[in-house]
Order: sequence, then C-alpha cells, then structure tokens
Amino acid sequence: MLSFILRRLLIIIPMALVVVTLTWGLIRLAPGNFYTGEKKLPPAVESTIRKKYGLDEPWYKQYGMMMSNVVRGDFGDSLKYQGQTVNEIIWRHLPYSATIGILAYLLALGIGLLAGTYAAMKQNTVLDFGPMSFAMLGLSVPNFVLAPVLVIFFAFTVYLLPPARWGGPLSLILPVVTLAAIYAAYIARLTRAGMLEVLRSDYIRTARAKGLSDRTILFRHAFRGGILPVISFTGPALAALLAGTVVVEKVYALPGLGDIFIKAVLNRDEPLILGIVAFLSILVMVFNLIVDISYGYLDPRIRYE
Amino acid sequence: MARQGYSRVFKGIAALVLTAFVFGCSPPSGGRYFGKTEPPKDNVLRYITGAEPETLDPQIPDGQPEARIFMAMYEGLVEYDPKDQQPIPAIAKSWESNPTLDEFLFHLRDNAKWSDGKAITARDFVYSLRRGFHPDVISRTAQLGFFIKHSEDLKSRNLFVKKNGEFLLAKDFGAPDKETARIGPETEFSKFLHSPARLVLNGDEKKRAQQLAKDPKLAEAVQGAELVPVAPEDIGVEAIDDYTLRITLRQSAPFFLGLFAHQFFRLVPEQSVEKHGKNWTRPQNIVTNGPFRVKEYRPYDVLTLEKDPNYWDAANVHLDGIEFFPIEEQSTIMNLYKAGSIDAMQNHAIPSSWIGEIRNYKEEYLNFPEMAVAYYAMNMTKPPFDDIKIRRAFTLGLDREALSSFRKVTQPLYFMSPTGAFREFDQALAKVSEEKRIEKGISPEEWAKYGKFDPEQARRLLTEAGFPVQKNGDNYACPSFPTDKVAITYNTNESNRSIAEFVQSQWKQHLGITVPLKTMEFKTFLPYFKNLEYDGFAQLLWSGDYVDPFSFLSLEYGKANEGGSGFYDQKFDKMLDDANSELDPQKRNELLARAEFYLMEQAPVVPLTVNATNWIKKPYVKGMYPNPGTLLPWKFVYFERDPAKWDTDVSNIFATRDPKFEKQLEDLKSTQNAPVK
Repeated sequence: MLSFILRRLLIIIPMALVVVTLTWGLIRLAPGNFYTGEKKLPPAVESTIRKKYGLDEPWYKQYGMMMSNVVRGDFGDSLKYQGQTVNEIIWRHLPYSATIGILAYLLALGIGLLAGTYAAMKQNTVLDFGPMSFAMLGLSVPNFVLAPVLVIFFAFTVYLLPPARWGGPLSLILPVVTLAAIYAAYIARLTRAGMLEVLRSDYIRTARAKGLSDRTILFRHAFRGGILPVISFTGPALAALLAGTVVVEKVYALPGLGDIFIKAVLNRDEPLILGIVAFLSILVMVFNLIVDISYGYLDPRIRYE
Repeated sequence: MARQGYSRVFKGIAALVLTAFVFGCSPPSGGRYFGKTEPPKDNVLRYITGAEPETLDPQIPDGQPEARIFMAMYEGLVEYDPKDQQPIPAIAKSWESNPTLDEFLFHLRDNAKWSDGKAITARDFVYSLRRGFHPDVISRTAQLGFFIKHSEDLKSRNLFVKKNGEFLLAKDFGAPDKETARIGPETEFSKFLHSPARLVLNGDEKKRAQQLAKDPKLAEAVQGAELVPVAPEDIGVEAIDDYTLRITLRQSAPFFLGLFAHQFFRLVPEQSVEKHGKNWTRPQNIVTNGPFRVKEYRPYDVLTLEKDPNYWDAANVHLDGIEFFPIEEQSTIMNLYKAGSIDAMQNHAIPSSWIGEIRNYKEEYLNFPEMAVAYYAMNMTKPPFDDIKIRRAFTLGLDREALSSFRKVTQPLYFMSPTGAFREFDQALAKVSEEKRIEKGISPEEWAKYGKFDPEQARRLLTEAGFPVQKNGDNYACPSFPTDKVAITYNTNESNRSIAEFVQSQWKQHLGITVPLKTMEFKTFLPYFKNLEYDGFAQLLWSGDYVDPFSFLSLEYGKANEGGSGFYDQKFDKMLDDANSELDPQKRNELLARAEFYLMEQAPVVPLTVNATNWIKKPYVKGMYPNPGTLLPWKFVYFERDPAKWDTDVSNIFATRDPKFEKQLEDLKSTQNAPVK
C-alpha cells in the first residue's frame, strides 16, 4: 500500500513537467505575445523587453531557463500584472475558487446521493422519474443560462440575495447553487446507475436471504459499492472546481482562478499560464490518487500491489 | 400514475421558470429610475472601471481602466476639465509658453504634498519624466511624450558624437537648424537646449551601421569619435527652482499642453520607487499625490481608495472614498447597477440587448459622441486594394447612416477624426468643405451626398477598375471580383461581428460582392493586422490620446503604419507638418482639415462609426460628465442627497447648471486665467 502511494507520488512530478513542457510549446506556437498591443511600441522599448525576458535567446536556452525555474517551484513574475509573482497570484485567488468549489461539491454530493439512491430504490416509479428528469434538466441547462435566471429571481424579483460580487455568506448562495446544479445532476445519475447494479448483485441477494432489513442492506452493503462511480468522478471534478470555474466567476464577478487563467491565455502571460497549468495538473493527479486509495476501503475486491 | 406525477413535476418547473421571466423582464414597478436608487450612506462612490489594472504604476500601462484609477491616485501639472477634457490647473497653478509653442514654463503651487506628507517640487517632475523616458522602464505610453527634446533619444539609447572634446552638430550634416525663443530665465541647461542641435546616432547597432553606410561624410566624421549615450539629464525638462518647471520640445506641438494631463505625465514618487523598486506599488509601499490614496487593494475584487488629507485641495474633494470594481461582464455590471450596488460605470457598459430599455431612463442614460472611432483599414500593399478606385468604390458603397441606426448608439463617420469630438476642427472642416464645393462647382444638395453613400458611383468605379458590375434583376453581381482575395478580418467580439455582418450585406446589396468574414482572437489578430498579412479589410478601433484631431490623423503619418493600411504619402505628411508648425489655432485647424480631405480622397480606410459613451449613472451622482474619453476627475464628483436636485434629463447634462460644480471649476481655473506676474 505504502509503496503504491510512493510510486504514484513520484510519478506526479515528471508528469507535471511533461504537461508544463507541452503547454510551453503551445504558447510558443500561438501568434502574438504579451507585449503587443493596439499601439505600437517604439523599437527600443521592444528590444528592452526582449532582452529582459530572454526572448532573443535560442529556444532551448529559453526552455532551459523556464524549466530550471519551474523545477524550483518558482514561476517568476506575471508578465501582465507587473510586480506580482505567479505563486502569489495563485495562492491569493485559490481560496475564493476553493470555497465556492468545495461548497458546491458538498451540496451536489448531498443532493445527488440522496436523489440517486432514492431513485434506484424506487426504480420505474414517480419517485424515480421525478428526480431523474430534474437531473436531466440540471444537466441540460448550462450554467450561463441558470445563473441569470437565478439572479433575476432571487436578486430582482424577491430581492433576497445580491446579484454578484464576493462578500458575506449570502453572496455565496447563488454561485454555489449554480455550480452545484450540474454536478448534483451528474452525481444523481451516477449513483442511481451504480446502486441499480449493486442492488441486483448476488451478495445483496444473499443479504436479503439472510433476512436483513432494507436499511441495513442499503447502508451496510449496497451503498459502499454503489457510490464507487461517484468516487471516481469526484477526483477530477473537485480538481476542476478548485481551480475555478470561468462562467460562474464571470457572471457573479468572483475573484477566482478560472477567470484569471483564461485572461492569462488571452494575454499570453506565459509564467502565469504555466503556473496554473502545473498547479492544476498536480491537483488532478493528487485527487486521482486519493480516489484510488479510497477505492480500497470502499470495495474489498480491490487490492493494491 | 407515473405519467401523472411526471407532468406534475414538469408543470412545477415550468411555473417557476415562467414566474422568474415574467417578474424579471417587466419594468421596475412604478420607478422612474432603473433599479434601486439610493445614495450610499457612507459617501463612498462605487464605480466599475473595467479590467483589473495591470499595475498601479501610472507610467506603465495604456488602458482606459487604469487611466481612470490613476486620475484618482495621481496628479500631474494639469488635470482634464470634467466636461471637455481641456487642461485645467492641477499642481501647476499657471503656465505660459513661448510664441512658437515649443517651450512651456509651469508655475507650481507651493502647497502640494505626497500622501506621505513630503512636499512636491519641480524636481519631482524632473525625476518622473526622466524615469518614464529611461530605456529600462517598459512604458507603453512614453512615445506620447517624444515631442520633449531628447526624450526619444534617451528611450532609444541613441548616442551623441564627441570628437576632440566637442560634440558634432546636426546642422553640419544637412539637418536644418532653427532658432527657438526661450521662455523664463537663462540657465546653463537652457543654453544647451537652445544651442544648435547635437548630432544623434541610432542606438541600435544595426540601424547605426545603416545610418552610416548611407552617408559617407557622416561615417568619416564619426570615425574615431567618442559615442556618448543620451542621458536622462539631457532631456528637455528643467527645474528652474522649487516651484518653476520648464519643458522644452523638439518642435512646435500646439496640442501638447493637453497631453500633460495624461497618466504618463503624472508624478511617480522618487522616495518609494528608489527604495522599493518593482514593489513600490504594493499597498504598504505606495505613495501617491492625487485626491485619493490607497486604503485596501484586493486584486480582481476591489481597489478601495480613501480621501487623502495631505492632498493640497482636500477641502474641495467631496467624496470620502472610491471603490473601483474590476468587472468586465456587461450583464453583471447591469445587475449590480440595478441592485443599487454601484453608482456609475465605465463607458460602453450597456449590452446592445439592453439599450432599448435603458435609453428610456433619461435621468440616467448617457449617450454622447466619443473620441473613439471604428474603421476598416484596406491593405494597400496587396491587389486589388492597391487601386484607389477599388478603395473608393467600397467606401462609397456602404450606407453608414444605416450602419449607425442599426448599431443604435453610434454616429456615422466619414473622416479619420471623430465628428463631434472637436468643435473648432468641425468648424474648420465645414469651411474647407465649402471651399472644395465651390472649387468643384457642385450644388450644395449634391455636395451633401458627395463622398458619403453613392452606390451608383461605387459601381461605376468598380467597372472602371476592371470589375464590371452587372444588374441581375433586382440585384447586382460582380462575378469577376476576386472574393477569394479579400475578407473582413476582425478580432472576435460580438459587436465587431454584427458590424461586419451588416457591412457584408450592404456590399452584397449595392456592389454585388460578398466579402467573406474572418474572426480572430485579439492577440492573433494584432500581428496579422499590423504586419499587413490580411487581405482586403481589417477592423481598427482607435481612441484618441489627447483632445486634438492630430491624435487620429497621425495614424496615417509617416511609415509607422499605425493605421494598418500600409499608407505612406509624403504630401500628406508635409500637410500635417505644416499644420503643426502653424501657431494660430484656427489656421492650424484649417490646415488639418485640408489634410483630412486629402486623406479621404486617397481612401486608405473605410470610416465606419464614431463610438458613443453609452453608460449610465445614478441621478444622485453629480459633477461627473460623459466627456469624450470618459476620463473623470474624481474630486468634482459628489452625491446629491436631496432628490429634488437629482438629474432629471441627462441628454443636456453639459448645459444643465450646477452652481456647486461650476464654482469649484472656476476657482480652480482662476489661477491660470489671472495674468502672470
């Protein structure tokens, strides 16, 4: 078990570096650069910039410089936001994205598991179709549609919640609900499918034959197996949520990482792009590792070698 | 059973969504204002200024969001007049210039202070400008100041040439030398600036080699000479004493005074910049000198400023603070405004789908011509647009009145400079236009149409250029025109797309040519456009840096290709040079107007629209005017708490009397208007 974790942890670093390298190459392929603007810079200023950032060096030297910084965990200064380091920007805005993301995921988990389990137990009844069609709706309504509808209703019809901006628990409700909707729907469907499969399996039949109560069967035996698909979905989903969600951040004007990432790409802000990409890739791999480990506890059939 | 339950759930959802829409879309119940309208209790203005500022260093970025923030935090020699953006006194209480308008003397007030309490003197200006023009400072606006003597040489690391202890002079190598009159006392430094100009060599090694290769006499003279880099101390800025500053230009620039209000010319604090280096703009290190200072900065969320008690005119700063929110999403801005969470917003903030509703709120909706325009540049370096007839055909074949009424808030544009933004220039244009009409012997009715929308003439020109336009029933066709060699290229954006689609349909209808559309992400578009890689048309949006038509006409000046058409015409350049050396403002405007007409005859661009300010503010916000650059001097802004005195019709906001505002402005201007001792 321990060696499994160690092996997986060790592979995260080279994988992240591969991702950074690919991203670096892609940025170099994109036309334009961070200092081009509507107004032409005097040639002297342009050459000062090129010298300062080593843009006149051959590509392998530039790659070497970039890599040696990245390996040390130092992504340098943002090219657009002068005087701010990439690490500072990431750590400053991560808490915003993380708060919204984790709350949204917890809400989605609560709703999704409940609805999915219930639907599976009452398969092909109103109590199955009701929640499941609601889930279908949640999946089909994109959050850039859901968000304005929620704002119109809660901010301008009943005047209960602020329409945008970070500030106080009330301001979190709309973004969290908007973000949770699609995940709740997804989790509900995953749970239902997982539970249906488990409920039909032999060991549940055995449990029933032993005369166990429905409640015991559900919570002691079926649940652990039934939510495995949800667990594997949780890894990448949480990573994506933590790293920010562009649409929700834009519509609700939240200072999260997602919008900053998109702007970094549009600005060709290389260090910031690389920093966020590296961070995100490590996040995804760590969460996947956690998911894999938790499998072992939930499903006795899985063994680590 | 199952079916029934299903439909019940569905009906419930439908009802909820429907309620939301019905309530959400109906106009605010009984209100004459848009959304919640109550002045904030704490006297702090809440304003949306667009994108997150790149930095709080005023000499670096060139964006409008930053420009507005810097106006609150920093002050320079002069400030923009809130209504017309003309220079009004700031740290300079008065100024004068020599008759040739290439040297200015500023008399500074003696009570101006930094936010840390340190007194502001002329030396702070000398420091700030030397820093801004220093080659190591990556400023995106420094080129605006290149009229200041030797500033471009400093920025370009150019070199003086010293031989046998004497500097070589430009006049000995064929450069004309003109004498300029000095204003103010004679000093050693002024003697240097007014003595015959030194020879300057290009700082770039390759370019210097070219420069020398072209001129054997020069190459010979430079042989064995010492090359002395132009130093910060050489630029034409001099502190004569603590409160007198002299700025010397390399040539007359009548519009230059207005530029001193630009963020690049605002002060930066030597005490903080030298101590903290690149970290000087952090809240704990920053020192400012404007009406407001930094209280709290949460990037991407809010920049909170508070009134600075050290500011020399603090008694006339009405707000206790300003909160700047960096938000770009238009509908989010509108939601915050409707909820009463903000008091005013940046220009172009109203989404086009909202304009129909918002323009009914005449107490709030501000729609005025802007000092900003949209053109389609035509690539003159590639056929068929190297042919002037083709360029004129496409210009004449577009109904720009129709384009503007389709766009709802813009006005049609027929020139390089925005009509309506420069009153005196518009008068000069009208005068020159009348002269041209008489010259051509055309009736006034026909002249009103001339050069505007004339599809028949456009088709004739196309036919003459070898692309015959045929009538095809009700439509036209121009089968021989190479539509594979043209496109309208624009950077991806909703409003750019709608303009392009409209123009495309116009040309199809009137010329029988369907020009393909091509959209690109902004940073991809820029080099494609500037390097003339595009075919046919590319969209250029331009806003003026200073209140003068030269800010627009200069796009086509010289070989810099700022206009993006590849246009270069020595005759046009000479017309602009002549205009700028004319000291009488009226005559200068006429010369510029002639250049404008000449340029339009060459047709390097299809002028499209003059942009509109298009923003709203709450009726209780006073002292804030929709000037052509949306540059708001914040110390004039105040909250009117008496609803009886709120704005009632802002369509004539410029003419509406506001005694409080007018007195403040008059008092401020009085130091300049009073005769100088």
